[in-house]
Amino acid sequence: MERPALRRLVRDIADTDDEEISCDECFDLVSEYVDLEIAGAVGDRVLPRFQQHLRQCGVCREEYEILCDLARLEAEGNLPRLPA
Amino acid sequence: MKARTNAEWLIALKSDGHAQATALSDLRVYLLRAALYALYRRRGTLRDFAPTDIKQLAEDCAQDALSAILKHLDQFRGDSRFTTWAYKFAVNAALVAARRERWGRVPLDRLLDSPDLVERFGSFRDASSDPQRGALQREILEALRQAIETCLTKRQRQALTAVVFEEVPLDELARYWGSNRNALYKVLHDARRKLKAHLSERGFDAKEVLDVLGNDG
Repeated sequence: MERPALRRLVRDIADTDDEEISCDECFDLVSEYVDLEIAGAVGDRVLPRFQQHLRQCGVCREEYEILCDLARLEAEGNLPRLPA
Repeated sequence: MKARTNAEWLIALKSDGHAQATALSDLRVYLLRAALYALYRRRGTLRDFAPTDIKQLAEDCAQDALSAILKHLDQFRGDSRFTTWAYKFAVNAALVAARRERWGRVPLDRLLDSPDLVERFGSFRDASSDPQRGALQREILEALRQAIETCLTKRQRQALTAVVFEEVPLDELARYWGSNRNALYKVLHDARRKLKAHLSERGFDAKEVLDVLGNDG
């Protein structure tokens, strides 16, 4: 068996909660979380169930990471321009 | 392009005439930019795409995102910038499209059929040089193998194999099964809960399992 995959499975099992939010609920929260993170305010209002979902769900995590980079670039005024 | 507050976006998009047309046109530009950014970040999965193909795909994603935004406009609560809220629809559309491009040609039926997760567990050998730790690894692995064999449904085993071991994206497996992301996440969540409960019944707590199998060594 592939050891990294086994490690992933074990970590996912250990990190399992009885109640977890769905991908739709994660999508609902992600923009709020990203803006809190950019404002450095995530410590003031942690969303633990959102963070737990991101650890468990690769597709939601991928979308969160790109949204985060995009929102940060926009906040810095560095969003890439559209190609002609 | 005019910078707008959240309230200005909402008023303009819900109005009619020139103000709405301008807001829609501006929003489309924002969404196109977001979709292009997301697609270029996943350029590796779009190797066969020329820049013009990527731009076309981004335009389709931006259009899909715009339709979704207009449908969900009343759900915007103002707890983020409007543009961040809007971008998530474009990022989602772009990444779903990129994943479909990457996985659409992979025969998931073959991947799901073999080998089963129980067989995969049979092939695992502990790697610890410490005999005591090695024995504990074997014990936990056997408990896990049993739990997978006796507690999980075939669908749960297939979902775990595909998503955790083969790294098939959730939405692509859901699409293949004619399901959706939420439902498949629940299949996996139920499977993980059963495995965790079984290990706990056998006297292994999550922290111990993680310590023995979740880290290197």
